[in-house]
Amino acid sequence: MQVSPPRSLTELFLGFLSIGARSFGGVMPWAHRVMVEERRWVTPADFTETIGLCQFLPGPNVGNASIVYGKRWFGVVGSLVAFLGLFALPFVWVLTLFAFYADFAASSPLLRAIVTGVGAAGAGMFIGTAIKLGRPIAKNPWVLVIIAACFVCVAVLRISLIIVLPVALGISLLLARRGKL
Amino acid sequence: MILLDIALYFMVLSLFSVGGLPSVMPEMQRYVVEVKHWMSPAEFMQAFAVGQAAPGPNMLITTLVGWQVAGLAGALVALAAMCGPAAVLAWFVVDLWDRFKESPWRRAIQRAIAPVVVAMILSGGVVLATPGSTPDWRLWLIAAVTAAGILVSKVNPLWFLAAGGVLGALLLG
Repeated sequence: MQVSPPRSLTELFLGFLSIGARSFGGVMPWAHRVMVEERRWVTPADFTETIGLCQFLPGPNVGNASIVYGKRWFGVVGSLVAFLGLFALPFVWVLTLFAFYADFAASSPLLRAIVTGVGAAGAGMFIGTAIKLGRPIAKNPWVLVIIAACFVCVAVLRISLIIVLPVALGISLLLARRGKL
Repeated sequence: MILLDIALYFMVLSLFSVGGLPSVMPEMQRYVVEVKHWMSPAEFMQAFAVGQAAPGPNMLITTLVGWQVAGLAGALVALAAMCGPAAVLAWFVVDLWDRFKESPWRRAIQRAIAPVVVAMILSGGVVLATPGSTPDWRLWLIAAVTAAGILVSKVNPLWFLAAGGVLGALLLG
């Protein structure tokens, strides 16, 4: 597939702006659409590999991808421009929506019920995603032990992630190095 | 100095957000609701709902926490703090990652991270579906139906959020 990276910072900015502007229900599908299908900036394989790295790094996936691609094409300025393009419109929209909601929620129990239902559905999306990601690795009993232990520490005992994450990753890495994972 | 508090906390959280926002959701809820009392459990859940329903990276819920606590300045500081350190890390790591493509350490790290991220995302979902001290079966029902839905179908997740809103109106209204 013939790909051509953005030729100017404006093009880079507008591309990421259009990802942010349309990303209802998740950013990644739209990032794929814009960067691979519409603008043909990158190949599908390149996109998948970059997102793979970004998933493993802390931070928002596509936010990290904007940093990585911005850097590749225009250095540090490119990273900043791509990142700002991605976040500019969603930032305004989420605040507007929240302000609008706060104005009406006080007087409308129905609206509160709807939004609470949306929140519960969002929580369900997390649970479904966890199952989806966990299914392929869950045949390994060590994986189940790690998942169960982390879940108890974080969701039941409410221990801070700042303690749980380093310990869990340390143990997990040890197991991985010994070929248990 | 509340802005400094927000900035420092989210900067630390930023580096812990392996797997994105879902991984740090239980921790953020713990700190914002239980430790700092910046929001009630219900308010936090509703901010989360707005953050999910609005377009853009769901990291934007940090914007709403900042907004609630310290207005526009809080919103900007929270978002910058939540994304900044992770972005700087990504900037430096991308070259290293390419260089160590064939290293056994790289594969070990990938394998080690996966189960921990799964556990954090699962915890995030369960904590969010339980905003009060006692579980509400109606919220768990909506969460369970949604989880099942995204497991069996590939439609835009926005439809599931909309269905959650309808169920919320019917069950909670």
